[in-house]
Amino acid sequence: MSGKDVGSPHSHTTSRSSISRRTLLASGAAVGATTALGGCLGSEDNRLTVGFALPFTGTYALLGESIVAGFELFIEQQGGEINGREVEFVRRDTEAETSRGVDVTRELLLEARADAIVGPVSSAVAMAMIQPIQTESSAIWFNANAGDYRVTAEGCPEYHFRTSFNDWQTSAPLAEFVYEEVADNVCLAYADYAFGQNSKEFFKEAFEDLGGEVVEEVGAPLGTDDFSPYLGDIQGSGADAVYSFFAGDDAVNYVNAFSDFGLNEEMVQTGSGFMLANDTLPAQGESALGMYSLLHYTTTHDTERNREFVENYVEMYDETPNVYACQGYDSAQAFAGAVEETGGTDPDEMAESLVEMEFDSPRGEFEFDPETHEAIQNLYVREVVEADDGESVENEVVETLEDVEGPDWGCSHR
Amino acid sequence: MVESVLRATLLGLQLGMTLALIAAGLTLIFGMLDVINFAHGALYMLGAYFGTVIAGQFGSFWLALLLAPLMVGLVGAAIEILSLRPLYDRNPLYHILLTFGIAIMIQGAIIQIWGAQSRQIPIPDLLSGTVAVGPVNYPVYWLFVLGVSTVLIGIVWLAIERSDLGILMQASAHDTEMVSALGIDVSKVFTGVFVFGAILAGIAGVLLGGSRSVHPGMGFGIIIEAFIIVVIGGLGSFRGAVYAALLIGLVTAYGALIAPTLTELFLFIMMAIVLMAKPSGLFGATEAA
Repeated sequence: MSGKDVGSPHSHTTSRSSISRRTLLASGAAVGATTALGGCLGSEDNRLTVGFALPFTGTYALLGESIVAGFELFIEQQGGEINGREVEFVRRDTEAETSRGVDVTRELLLEARADAIVGPVSSAVAMAMIQPIQTESSAIWFNANAGDYRVTAEGCPEYHFRTSFNDWQTSAPLAEFVYEEVADNVCLAYADYAFGQNSKEFFKEAFEDLGGEVVEEVGAPLGTDDFSPYLGDIQGSGADAVYSFFAGDDAVNYVNAFSDFGLNEEMVQTGSGFMLANDTLPAQGESALGMYSLLHYTTTHDTERNREFVENYVEMYDETPNVYACQGYDSAQAFAGAVEETGGTDPDEMAESLVEMEFDSPRGEFEFDPETHEAIQNLYVREVVEADDGESVENEVVETLEDVEGPDWGCSHR
Repeated sequence: MVESVLRATLLGLQLGMTLALIAAGLTLIFGMLDVINFAHGALYMLGAYFGTVIAGQFGSFWLALLLAPLMVGLVGAAIEILSLRPLYDRNPLYHILLTFGIAIMIQGAIIQIWGAQSRQIPIPDLLSGTVAVGPVNYPVYWLFVLGVSTVLIGIVWLAIERSDLGILMQASAHDTEMVSALGIDVSKVFTGVFVFGAILAGIAGVLLGGSRSVHPGMGFGIIIEAFIIVVIGGLGSFRGAVYAALLIGLVTAYGALIAPTLTELFLFIMMAIVLMAKPSGLFGATEAA
């Protein structure tokens, strides 16, 4: 008990009690022990503390684990240090519950004294995190997945840097490709919740601006198992193409039903990249062939930088990285860059330095928009093709949209 | 419009019959053993996962359809013999806690072994593609699922109503002591019923695993629907479960046409109405007595 922690025995006791059973179970006793140790020693001045506010249990556990894996890979590659300072990790499970957002953030900021917050996965949680992070002003925030544009639009939080994507980026820029290469009329199909609705609206706006026509909109509730009633409406629209937003299991069920009903022979399926991603393609298989989607990262993207990343990741974890792992990796890169540039962890200084930097990411180079702190990055139009092994399917990049800049969300006054 | 209704009707029937496979086991287990089996959804999920493994390993859907349910039956036997049997004469709360715990354990084991990613059971070429049903093209596989489920439910129905075994099952449920006094090992009948219910759930798992994504949340998703069905049909009533399953299947399918986001609410409202008007369920009073 020395240094920074003098005079705050409080943090000693509370940080221990805050290691819930769940956290221990989820992240393993080893991590729990580190956390307790970190709490006791009050993170020696020299250490950097990274707080993960991510779901480690429940539906989104896979995303949380992938982000951490990507982040830790980068730190490992730096010998576990940034700027000569050891990096320690503290995990807090958001359970993807909005109500946990504030608690988790406070714990990370006040007890673990995190220098950087990484997370969350769910946008509702992100919205809840804005306030505590702004109030404490003690950490920089790398939003490694929560893509709702409103996280930026509502107040343009200054410590918030989106190392992932926003819902405009994964929808609207595809409109031009669809309009020019696929069809001038589409039916929109979407998971009926905030992210799905936003994606659909952004695409629609962009598509109509180009002169395209949206003939029908079909929303299906989140967690739909059987899509056949909705497919009837999609087919009945008579559109030549569909733009869809579904993710996870919905995407698997939707894409498979779409092909089971033979709609893939009548209309071209296009959509957000989350619909045809690493976590869904194995279950979609041949059903997904020929479908187009847009995303900022593709595991099979054939660049030297990405091949190197994939190789390293496979070596460390024995599985291929997904888009979430890349977002975690880039969060680590951004944090390392900011610490090295400023020589410290002052969040205001880090925020100023981050907008000046350019990052060499597996997804391609990207930088932060000085106003919105959104990533200005390449977006890739991919087509699902047969993999070389002849059995599985994979994405092939067919067009690169370079350094796409999105709306400013009213942040230009910054 | 006609197409939509026809398509929804086919889906509703198919959903109804597969849900009936799951709800039948649940209601039989309750009827005979007086146990509310919260692990039933997990058994259904195990069927789907065993199906993906077998189909993946041997490249045969048919083998998966045959073996996976039997493996689920084995798991069911283990659950009944090792954990439920010692608790039969306890308060039903123990059964609920136990089976709920088992459901969580199975889910956890599945995530540990196979990960959280979605999977699917590849269907054979014979069953892929679509076929014209009147004005709509309908996937062959979905019709296959409808057909197999309907036939199975028919066989089970006959077996319960007509066969000696079915009569024995009903007798054991009605008066355990009397049946036991007649020299029949009732505990074997109980194990048999539990295993049988598990096998039906396993079959449903493989069948639906070919058209829906297979993921660690599917067990808890289905158990809620199955419970609504069993409550509406009448706890313990096989006939009730089949009718209620068809009702729920059709409501779900038509609901998606009319008001997608409200469909789930409809189901709960239906359950509430049935509970208020006839607390024993539609067919509860006659059979479960």
